[in-house]
Amino acid sequence: MSGLPLLALERVSKIYRRGLFDRTLAFRLDVDFRIDEPAIVGVMGPNGAGKTTLFEMIAGSNAPTGGRVVVAGHDMQRVRYRERDRLAIHYHQSYQVRRFSRTRPDFMMEPAGSSYPVVHLFDEPQFNAQDGYIGFMLDFFHRLRGEGRLVFICLHPTAALHLELLRQTCERYLFVANGQARPFADFGRIISDPDVRRYLGALAP
Amino acid sequence: MALFEAHELHLRFGDRVVLEDISLSFEVGRLSGIMGPNGAGKTTCFNVLTGRYRPDRGRVVFDGADITGRSPQAISRLGIARSFQLMNLFDEFTAFENVAIALPETRRRGADPIGQAYRDSALVGEAHEILVNVGLGDRAGQIAKSLPYGERRALEIAVALASRPKLLFLDEPTAGLGSDGRARLADLVRKLKGAVTLVVIEHDMEFLFSLADVISVIHWGQVIAQGSPADLRANPWVRNSNLGKLA
Repeated sequence: MSGLPLLALERVSKIYRRGLFDRTLAFRLDVDFRIDEPAIVGVMGPNGAGKTTLFEMIAGSNAPTGGRVVVAGHDMQRVRYRERDRLAIHYHQSYQVRRFSRTRPDFMMEPAGSSYPVVHLFDEPQFNAQDGYIGFMLDFFHRLRGEGRLVFICLHPTAALHLELLRQTCERYLFVANGQARPFADFGRIISDPDVRRYLGALAP
Repeated sequence: MALFEAHELHLRFGDRVVLEDISLSFEVGRLSGIMGPNGAGKTTCFNVLTGRYRPDRGRVVFDGADITGRSPQAISRLGIARSFQLMNLFDEFTAFENVAIALPETRRRGADPIGQAYRDSALVGEAHEILVNVGLGDRAGQIAKSLPYGERRALEIAVALASRPKLLFLDEPTAGLGSDGRARLADLVRKLKGAVTLVVIEHDMEFLFSLADVISVIHWGQVIAQGSPADLRANPWVRNSNLGKLA
């Protein structure tokens, strides 16, 4: 991890069209940001805006339509399929795993060169204040960060608790909406953005 | 001294990582707890520790010997017993017979083990002693399937104890039990503590916090926290949860 950014999304875009013949745009996400240092990053945004698609592209399970995702110096789309989760691992919500096509044999691609993931993507982890597991989960996020890793927590806040968790835990933020993933340097900034406040509605502090 | 150790276990099912990185150590005479939310990988972990799945990476060491990838039968011969979430009893046999069949001496004799067990007063005595130990002393003659659920659980533990294990794994022992059943099972497990090294895998935090010497919390296929119940309770989120209120 010497000198290289932990994660860079270089002019990444993802475009879905209605179908093979109907080329009407159905979904578009454009992302361009980099994170050099270990951090815990909170990701918010409405359902369907592309939070999970963003995670899939970082994890290398979903190929961008344009641009590159680079994790610790590796272009994810050039890394062997089975070794991609050694660089970035996507902890899915529930058990829905979307499958993606493989276009090249593994021997033509690069090894990951890592045995434990550098980027950890937590997709809507189940935070339930009653059961006490939250405390262990938060400690774990901090431990990963302390070991020099990059942690993403994607959450669609439905309760004040969720927002408070993000505020306490995350150092920087991404807001995924309207076809973009906009980075914010801290909680104060994301929470005062008019689009974010509209999205949060009554939860906005 | 660690009787059982798992080093950096990693297991995948196809493209999916089910155990990312699990290291555990179970000390002689202790009760070690493993807990975690549903789907965290507890049962998969149990299946690797007891030989049902071979890990893609990592080692399992029992009593100084590397047992990674050995069959469940070979592992059980070394002195590791387990009781399952789904019970494994001979339903048509009595409680006594279920225990008697599981005694190593009975097994060695081969043909007509139950007849043998009834004829040998030493075996009869031993099977009864185990039943008394798990609180089923007065149920010896009862057919297994006629026992209430909680007593079937206790009988399963009796069957596991009959092999005189050095280490006993209990997988979700409270599954399906009501609060009375849990309390009785907790009493039984408390009684076994010290006499046999125990590893209890449990979803019910309250149960483990009252019994375990050390607890490992598993989530996302990894150990996300570890410590004594007091250490874990020191976490402010745990203190403020339902669990903390029990303390």
